[in-house]
Amino acid sequence: MDRRKFLGLGLATLALVPMTNLKAVDFRAEKPDAWKSTAPADAIKGLYGDIKPEEKGVKIKAPKLAENGGKIPVVIKSDIEAKSVALLQDSNPRSLVAAWTIPEGGIIDFSVTMKMKKSGKITAIVEGKDGKFYSKVLPIEVSKGGCGG
Amino acid sequence: MKVKAKLKDDIVKVKVLAKHQNIGPEEAKKKEKEANFITTVIAKVGDKVVYEMSGSGFMSKNPLYKFKFKGAKKGDELEVTWTDLKGNTKTKKAKIK
Repeated sequence: MDRRKFLGLGLATLALVPMTNLKAVDFRAEKPDAWKSTAPADAIKGLYGDIKPEEKGVKIKAPKLAENGGKIPVVIKSDIEAKSVALLQDSNPRSLVAAWTIPEGGIIDFSVTMKMKKSGKITAIVEGKDGKFYSKVLPIEVSKGGCGG
Repeated sequence: MKVKAKLKDDIVKVKVLAKHQNIGPEEAKKKEKEANFITTVIAKVGDKVVYEMSGSGFMSKNPLYKFKFKGAKKGDELEVTWTDLKGNTKTKKAKIK
C-alpha cells in the first residue's frame, strides 16, 4: 500500500475512536451468557471473565429488612473512576439484575428498585479504569417475596 | 414516564419513573402473561450519553431510576429513552432546572 494512503487510513481510524466511545454498550447483546447465569459467581464470570474483586471502595445502600420484595430500593455509590458497574443477587432464578456503562465524567450514584424472591445477598461489582475490580456484598432480608411469589 | 432533572453545585440529579410492568419469565408463567421488561435505559444531553443501563426482569414494576452526572447547564435538555424486550421504546425530554 502507498505510504501516504496508509497514514491517511491511520488518521481515519484515530478519528473514529472517540465516536465509538460515545456509542452505547448493550450488555444484553454483548454478554448474553451473563444474563442466564443462576449464581452470582457465574454471572460475574460471564461479564468480566475470571476476576478477583477487592472488597473496598463500593457502597450499597438498601434496607436490611425489606417488607415488600417487589420493590426494594437499592443505591450503589463509589468514588472509583470506573468503566462499568454491575448489580447481582442470589435469590432470584437468574443472578444479574442490571449493568451500567459509566460515561466520561459520570458519577457512580445509581438508585434502582428491584425485585427479590426471598432473602439473599446483593453484590455490586465496579470495574475500575485501572483494570482492577471492586465489590461489595450486602445481605437483605425479605419478608414478602416479590418475584410473583 | 416521568423525568425530573435538577442542577445543584455542578451536579445534575435525575429521577426517572418509568411506567412498565417489568414481568420476568418466571412471573409471566404464574400470571399467564407474556414476559416483557425494560432492557436498556439511556439518557443523553445533546449527543452526549450521561447514563446507560442494561436491565433484567428483576427490576420492580414501575421502576424508579435515580442517577447523577456532571457537565450540563441549566436549561439543557435531557432525553431519556427506554427499550423493552419486545422492542417498544419510549422517549421523554425534560429541561434541567
